[in-house]
Amino acid sequence: MMYGGSGTQSRRDLAIEYQAQIPTLRPSIHARRANMTVKFQDLYGFTVEGNVDDVNVLNEVREKVRQQGKVWWALEAEKGANWYLEGHISTTLKSSLKISSLVNAITLKKLIRGGIPPNLRPRVWFSLSGAAKKKSTVPESYYNDLTSAVEDKVTSATKQIDHDLPRTFPGHPWLDTPEGHAALRRVLVGYSFRDSDVGYCQGLNYVAALLLLVMKTEEEAFWMLAVLLENVLVNDCYTNNLSGCHVEQRVFKDLLTKKCPRIAAHLEALDFDVSLVCTEWFLCLFSKSLPSETTLRVWDVLFYEGAKVLFNVALAIFKINEEKLLMAHQVGDVINIIQRSTHHLFDPDELLTVAFDQIGFMTTTTISKQRKKQEPAVMAELDQRIRRLNSNSNDK
Amino acid sequence: MASSGNKNINAKLVLLGDVGAGKSSLVLRFVKGQFIEFQESTIGAAFFSQTVAVNDATVKFEIWDTAGQERYHSLAPMYYRGAAAAIIVYDITNQASFDRAKKWVQELQAQGNPNMVMALAGNKSDLLDSRKVATEEAQTYANENGLFFMETSAKTATNVNDIFYEIAKRLPRLQQAPNPSGMVLVDRPAERAAAASCCS
Ligand SMILES: Nc1nc2c(ncn2[C@@H]2O[C@H](COP(=O)(O)OP(=O)(O)O)[C@@H](O)[C@H]2O)c(=O)[nH]1
Ligand SMILES: [Mg+2]
Repeated sequence: MMYGGSGTQSRRDLAIEYQAQIPTLRPSIHARRANMTVKFQDLYGFTVEGNVDDVNVLNEVREKVRQQGKVWWALEAEKGANWYLEGHISTTLKSSLKISSLVNAITLKKLIRGGIPPNLRPRVWFSLSGAAKKKSTVPESYYNDLTSAVEDKVTSATKQIDHDLPRTFPGHPWLDTPEGHAALRRVLVGYSFRDSDVGYCQGLNYVAALLLLVMKTEEEAFWMLAVLLENVLVNDCYTNNLSGCHVEQRVFKDLLTKKCPRIAAHLEALDFDVSLVCTEWFLCLFSKSLPSETTLRVWDVLFYEGAKVLFNVALAIFKINEEKLLMAHQVGDVINIIQRSTHHLFDPDELLTVAFDQIGFMTTTTISKQRKKQEPAVMAELDQRIRRLNSNSNDK
Repeated sequence: MASSGNKNINAKLVLLGDVGAGKSSLVLRFVKGQFIEFQESTIGAAFFSQTVAVNDATVKFEIWDTAGQERYHSLAPMYYRGAAAAIIVYDITNQASFDRAKKWVQELQAQGNPNMVMALAGNKSDLLDSRKVATEEAQTYANENGLFFMETSAKTATNVNDIFYEIAKRLPRLQQAPNPSGMVLVDRPAERAAAASCCS
């Protein structure tokens, strides 16, 4: 059966299915005693390795997700199915409604930071991110027309996509099947023709794969990818020189110096460039580093509050590890600390609490100003590299 | 400790080369002794560490396995900055990957560290039937450019440990008097021989 068909029948709730298959994880007595590593599947079907404590954390997270689901459903029962849209688009509403929409907006921001339940994610993301609006501006058949028009075309983008399909979350029970590969291919190839400046950039394979798992229909995953690249993230994150990504890295370094001065000074002394670990976070939006539910909790906020939240989260990862990092004296140790920590952040609240309560508020305007400030330096640096390479090859 | 004449040094090593040349496979073979057909694609670069014993010294390689897609090349300086060694990898069955390797050599020569030990690896040497790049051609190029050259196979493990070992031997710090300034001394065994978690 097609995973992402448009019929309601195929809109299967994958997350729920996984929950049903693996109710509560019970590590064996043997595993408890030996404190050994156990392998288990998380909410979205990814195999993770962890110890007994991790399993317990994951069980608690499942329970929290269930509780949070109840809160959302209760609100829906009280305020109507699409209440959250009111809080979002408050401009055209009558003044009598404005207060209620303001209340909704505040409720909504808090609620979203608390997490969107997996079974509501497709609907909430699709409308709040602007993907629904984007889709509504083109003919109904846009996605089908696009994918069927380009399916046999061969470009450098399609070659790279084909190379990466079996390398995108290998071993995942749905993504790593012919059906999963085919769906991911259509989304990525389709997008590469929609925006030829982006074409295809490695990293998008992981982002699109996770979008497919959440949205459950290819077409909606495609529009989420479109809104992400065209509206949510900074420009040129994924184009030719990744210049947007270079800008984000510089902004991040400044923020780290400001928000976590001790860590920044210590890493500086070790001659450790934080971009060595952060670049991947910004290009894959944490999907390769954090456990799936934690990543998606970041994305919940990302789609509602914008790309600045990536900085909050990245700073939080350093902050959480402050004491350990200050004790590290080698590059390898720094990397191991960060990687071990990100792989084990099974409890999203542990991360998000630090990201939003301890890091402090940063407005989109402040961040935009910082980006503007860094752009010329990035352009100059990239330019210089190209010129050096060219002059060098002329010499030869 | 470094008391009994043992030297323990850390060496940053970067792998560069075309997409699909086999950089990740070489690292996996060297660090874990495995070969996996479909590894997760690398974004930015993945970090590994592995230790090699050379005579009375221990070299701990801090390895950066970079991603190959063209647009990622703008990130490369961050990985080769300060590197003591580089392995430039091409696929012997793919001429374009050899041309790409030469470009990397030029880039390193232009802006890398002049003392950097550079090795050229002609990978996939098990695929003799589809060879496109002659051994002599690569050897000549390597000689002309002061590179050290080996044909390797991540699949069969041929020359994989050897190339890292040869690099370790050539590190300037191993050939100088013990304890040159700036040398980092390591007084404990390498943790987890294989950094199982790469930069993911
Ligand atoms: N036959 C053969 N295949 C190899 C060898 N090394 C790598 N490969 C294959 O070549 C492809 C690309 O390898 P990979 O390590 O991902 O290349 P990278 O892009 O340079 O990191 C994979 O399908 C590997 O299985 C080798 O020595 N022999
Ligand atoms: Mg690779």
